[in-house]
Amino acid sequence: MSEIHVFHHRAMATQFQVRIAGQDQPYAAQTAQAAFALTDQLESLLSRFRANSDISQIAKLGPQEKLRLSEPVFACLRVARRMEAATRGAFSVTAAALQTQPTRPLWSLLEKEFSLRCDSGRVELDLGAIGKGFALDRMAEILREWDCPAFLLVAGGSSVLAGEAPARTAGWSCGLGDDHSPHRYWLKNGSLSGSGLAVKGKHIIDTRTGIPTARRNRVWALADTAAESDALSTAGMILTEAEISDVLANEPGWLMFLQEKENWRHLGLRPVPPAM
Amino acid sequence: MVKPNFTRREFLGTTAVAGAGLLLASCSPNQPKAPGAKSTLSQLNIALIGCGAEGQVLLESLLVIEGIRLVAIVDIWDYNRDSNVRRLKSQGIEVKSYENYEDLLAHEKDLQAVIVATPDFWHAPITNACLQAGLHVYCEKMMSNTIEGARSMVQTMRATGKLLQIGHQRRSNPRYMFALNRLVNDAKICGRLTAANGQWNRAVSEDFGWPKKFALSAEMLAKYGYKDMHQFRNWRWFKALGGGPLSDLGAHQIDIFNWWFGMAPTSVMASGGVDYYKNHEWYDHAMVIYEYPLPTGTVRAFYEVLTTTSAGGGYSEMFMGDEGTIKMSENPSITKLYREDRAPAWDELVAKNYLRASAVAAASTEADKVDVRETAPLLQYDIPVSFAKKIHQPHLENFFNAIRDQKVKLNCPADEAFASEYVIHKANEAIAARKTIEITAAETKA
Repeated sequence: MSEIHVFHHRAMATQFQVRIAGQDQPYAAQTAQAAFALTDQLESLLSRFRANSDISQIAKLGPQEKLRLSEPVFACLRVARRMEAATRGAFSVTAAALQTQPTRPLWSLLEKEFSLRCDSGRVELDLGAIGKGFALDRMAEILREWDCPAFLLVAGGSSVLAGEAPARTAGWSCGLGDDHSPHRYWLKNGSLSGSGLAVKGKHIIDTRTGIPTARRNRVWALADTAAESDALSTAGMILTEAEISDVLANEPGWLMFLQEKENWRHLGLRPVPPAM
Repeated sequence: MVKPNFTRREFLGTTAVAGAGLLLASCSPNQPKAPGAKSTLSQLNIALIGCGAEGQVLLESLLVIEGIRLVAIVDIWDYNRDSNVRRLKSQGIEVKSYENYEDLLAHEKDLQAVIVATPDFWHAPITNACLQAGLHVYCEKMMSNTIEGARSMVQTMRATGKLLQIGHQRRSNPRYMFALNRLVNDAKICGRLTAANGQWNRAVSEDFGWPKKFALSAEMLAKYGYKDMHQFRNWRWFKALGGGPLSDLGAHQIDIFNWWFGMAPTSVMASGGVDYYKNHEWYDHAMVIYEYPLPTGTVRAFYEVLTTTSAGGGYSEMFMGDEGTIKMSENPSITKLYREDRAPAWDELVAKNYLRASAVAAASTEADKVDVRETAPLLQYDIPVSFAKKIHQPHLENFFNAIRDQKVKLNCPADEAFASEYVIHKANEAIAARKTIEITAAETKA
């Protein structure tokens, strides 16, 4: 196997990694730097903790007021909207708003104006369950632009996005769960995200009830893009198994692994990656 | 809740005050799609010259400002040019693109202003040409990599009567304006100012690279003044092209020293060097001390820029006096106010909403009486001004408003910015000379 260069960067309140195979170290380092610079730029736009970010500005909109969005923010919210619909609202960027207001705020994306309109309530968006995945997707665009197709991108250990496999391998070795998990698969050209209770406890809010949920211990979602897998893994903590089956029946590119105590299984039409 | 007393200039651009929910229109109308529509005062046709990292930041702000039509973008690197055209098109915005400013000026005859965000050594020739072509110019700092270049820009501004705003965006930041005008000047919250401290430290980073397939040819690089792609991508580190970290990062903050003290310093001493990076020409570390002889007494202002450590807790400027200190930053979470025990109580300032306190202060008691209860927490103070806009937006809006209305004054016209420009160049000189350099007031005027 060719040498893999690994680079680290702190952003979005977590650690990002870029791993690049098949390139010399200086070029790989510069490529990683360009990708990390993008995460910083995205954080300045997507973070609700940055006073001048688009997300902070959205939270100040009154009913019927609009805000023209930066291109990445609009693109991220477009994916979020689609994931909300696909997961029957189990994933929602307004889930946390239920902690500060009685009902979910309503908002619309206006494609022609590239704007967001507040329809009701305070549109307090939290992109914590999709922003890191979205960042990985945009980082991957840079790596491909720089002709570094064999890569693995990691956001905080909970989302990975794999490009082509390193030379003479079937993919990137990805385990489900704790370090050195026995449940391992070769991943390439796809994204795997995990959600669960092990690190943050019951932190996922069921947007349909407004209370933290604990339907199962851990969920992993596999999809083409990291924004999708990131959002889908969160939804998988909330949905019943029957609901998950319904969701996945319409999305042939998605696959989910569920862990309830010692019981492991997978759902969905996407083929399971080769096991190690 | 009582609203702070704002001047009109402070109010413009402020969208949230003290949690009072004071909101100005948040949504910009849309960028018209068709290039070529006639420029008017209500719809200004502009072009962006330089689409690198800084140009991107300005572009994000430009697109949300009302009444601005981006007609064209300019960049010598097709990688920057084409990616921006694509990204804009995905937002429904069609722009023309040009390799250089000469082509822009030759083809675009209905422009009113340009935004210049190229490497520093191109600022003076581009700005001067655009001013002479009858355009108003917003030029990123530093004005130039040379004092002569910066001086020529001021002279051209005066000769043409066109506006030249320099991109020290903090001068239009409502929080900075409020802190200076209301807290420092009116309320004299610092008491007698005795010192200032600014810093912007960054961790070690790789030199910028480039996608191999997008490398510019040697002929192209030579045409625009670069030795090779490394120099093109890392121009800030080279003496013929930029001014190093002291000018890239320090320029913003040293300009704040001059702005808040209302004068340029009269001397500078500094130390620094190329201590870490072997392939750079400019100093990777610089520590600078300026002296400002204010009417109330001399203030010494220390400035530090380090490029091998991110220690320091973000970038900030701190103004210290015998009664209090204000630590300012573009990041509101870093902004702090410290009250010395000897200072008069700040209750009245809280009541006037000049300050926001973390809790209500206990009612003052008579000297011979005391009420005993739980330990009271120390009061924390905050500046009650925020703005729901992108960081560069108010400064760009000030520029566009000045184009539309002669009564609106630029917050950072080139002649004022020149004084900051001059003393920053002098700091680099002081490092090279390893001695204190005296600066006269006359020198700092263009």
